[in-house]
Amino acid sequence: MSTLSRKCVPFTPFDRELSRSTIAIVTAGGVHLRDQEGFNIADELGDLTYREIPPDVDSSQLMVTHHHYDHADAGEDINVVFPIDVLRELESEGFIGGIAKKHIGYMGYTMQLKAMYEGTAREIANEIDRGSRADAVVLTGG
Amino acid sequence: MKGIPTVLITVSPEVSAQMRPPRALYPKGFKIGNSLGRPGMRDLQKQVLRDALSLLTRNTRPGQAETIEYPEYGEQYEPPRVKKLG
Repeated sequence: MSTLSRKCVPFTPFDRELSRSTIAIVTAGGVHLRDQEGFNIADELGDLTYREIPPDVDSSQLMVTHHHYDHADAGEDINVVFPIDVLRELESEGFIGGIAKKHIGYMGYTMQLKAMYEGTAREIANEIDRGSRADAVVLTGG
Repeated sequence: MKGIPTVLITVSPEVSAQMRPPRALYPKGFKIGNSLGRPGMRDLQKQVLRDALSLLTRNTRPGQAETIEYPEYGEQYEPPRVKKLG
C-alpha cells in the first residue's frame, strides 16, 4: 500500500545564483531562543506554534525543546540542526549572497496533521515570504 | 500563492519521502539529531550545507532525496523505516 502524499510536489523553480541569494533556515528540530517560551512537550497532541529567530542571533543563545529525538548534540553545537553559523561562513566565503532577516523554529511532532499543514505551515510560509526576504529556504528536521 | 524554493536536509529519507519534498539531501548514515553532522565538525557541516544548497541549482527529481556519503562523519546509523500498513 502506497504511503506517499497525494498532494502535488510543491516544487518552486530556483532561477538565481546562490552567490546572490539570501537564505533562510526553517527547522522542525524544536529550536528556539533561550528567552523564548519552550515548545509544549506535555501535550500529547504536540505543539503547533513556531518561534522567530533573528539573523544576528548568537548561536549560544539557542536551545532545543523537543522530546522525540536525542538533541544532546544540538545542545553542544546547535549547528547540527540549525546551521546559522555555517550559513554565516558560507556568506563570508561568497557561496551565498546573504542571510535572511528571519528564521523559524518549530517542533516537528504533532498528531494534528491537518492543522499543521493548513495552519502552521502556511503561517511559516507567510513569515518567510513577507518577513525574511529569503530567496530560498533550507529545511531541517531533528 | 507565491512559492518559495526549498531544500530539505533529512536523516530519515524514507519518512521524508512520504511528503514528497521538492528537493532533499540525505547525508547517508547520519543519525537523527545530526542533520549537518556531529558537533564541532564545521568543515563537514559546511560541505553538507553547500551540497544541500547546490541542489537548488540542479535538475533534481522532485519527491526523491539525493543520497551523499560523507565518510568523515564516522560511525553510520540506519535511518528509521516506514511501517507498512496491512
